Amino acid sequence: MTRLVEVPSQFDDRSFDQFAAAYAQATSGGGGERLLFDAHAAEWASPYGLVGLLAAGEAAGGRPLLTVPSSAEVVSYWARAGFFREAADLFEIHGKVPKTKPATESEVLLPVTPVRAAEDVHAVVSTIQQRASAILAKELGLDPKATMGFAMALSEACQNIVEHAGAGGWVAVQAYNWRRKLARRVVVIAVADAGVGFRHSLEPSQAKRFGDRWGDAAALEAALIQGTSRFRDPGRGQGLAGIRRYLARWEGKVAIRSGTARIAIVPKWDDDVPLRDGLPAFPGSQVLLIIPEQGSPQA
Amino acid sequence: MIQHIKVHDVLQQSVAGFYTDLVTRPTGRAVRESIERGLPAGTIAVMDFTGVGCLDYSCADEIVAKLVREKVRVLLLRGTSDAHRDAIEPVLLGHGLAAVCEHADGTLHMIGAREPAAALLDELVAQHVAARTPGGAIALTAA
Repeated sequence: MTRLVEVPSQFDDRSFDQFAAAYAQATSGGGGERLLFDAHAAEWASPYGLVGLLAAGEAAGGRPLLTVPSSAEVVSYWARAGFFREAADLFEIHGKVPKTKPATESEVLLPVTPVRAAEDVHAVVSTIQQRASAILAKELGLDPKATMGFAMALSEACQNIVEHAGAGGWVAVQAYNWRRKLARRVVVIAVADAGVGFRHSLEPSQAKRFGDRWGDAAALEAALIQGTSRFRDPGRGQGLAGIRRYLARWEGKVAIRSGTARIAIVPKWDDDVPLRDGLPAFPGSQVLLIIPEQGSPQA
Repeated sequence: MIQHIKVHDVLQQSVAGFYTDLVTRPTGRAVRESIERGLPAGTIAVMDFTGVGCLDYSCADEIVAKLVREKVRVLLLRGTSDAHRDAIEPVLLGHGLAAVCEHADGTLHMIGAREPAAALLDELVAQHVAARTPGGAIALTAA
């Protein structure tokens, strides 16, 4: 028997819980049935949606089925974003996929890229510095010096996978017009894995301290707000704190989903909820960083 | 005697692959261990970041903070960019540590926690490694 997981038509961080609920339902019972990820109705996917879908495919195991979007334009975009290059190893893909190389166009600053080891982080940082500098400065109005901080934030976000996930993951970086929220351009970094998640990673060192409150939400709070790490070394836990500092300087947003919880540092221009608990369970961790164009009218 | 460390060169020698960025813990650890092998404990060391691209917090902690905490008496940073210092400063502050930073005009500035910073400058002056300029700043006399 095959169980269906529907991919939302507008697949981004806002609709991710809908996807996670479908995934949780399809995998409940532990019967080991093969999953079918149905993306035929997908009209758009953010980098967060694309890397999240790969994480779901990896977590499902057993080479699940994936039906590609029925819109040729959407399929072409997913191909240019580097999604299918990675998906081919995880899914049995149904539908016509164009043989397009991942894009070098301006919107795709970094196509969907696997992160499994420190060498991958080096490659990501090197690529992003070559590609992102002009876009960050010219299109987003960031100080050219901010490019290095951007690479630093990206490096730390990717390292969370290498250091803590216990599994590989993916990163993607894109720039696009965000009409819905801001009416201005943004750069979005999305990082996702299907690893152990924050709660499991921090449990040995933090669970006792939180007592009955311990869970996915408390683990995210400990990591992002309090800067705790599973390592006893006092220098650990700097990465997320550094990401927060960088985003605060540029009015950016960070949101992390892990297990059944999601935490966000919400800038003035956004109306997201700082902490949500009791969400549909989803494996691993999914990180979203958004840096908006500077100095434009806000929504 | 002042020890000189060219971080970019050490990076090339310590890690497989031609990298100019100091990112990730494993890279930072490899670079630090390589530096430590040629560095007597308790010395004054000049660490030159010329040619280094991105420096992330993990590497700043693994290299700069650990050397200051465990190996050198005074660490003088040279050739750093604003972005390098943005990574180094919070890491040093987190440990309650400080280092000396040489700016392009040759003057020395402190980076990190305030209390140990004042003592570092005093030590450099006492060792005649640095001196007060007529303008009131502190600059290296040697190195």
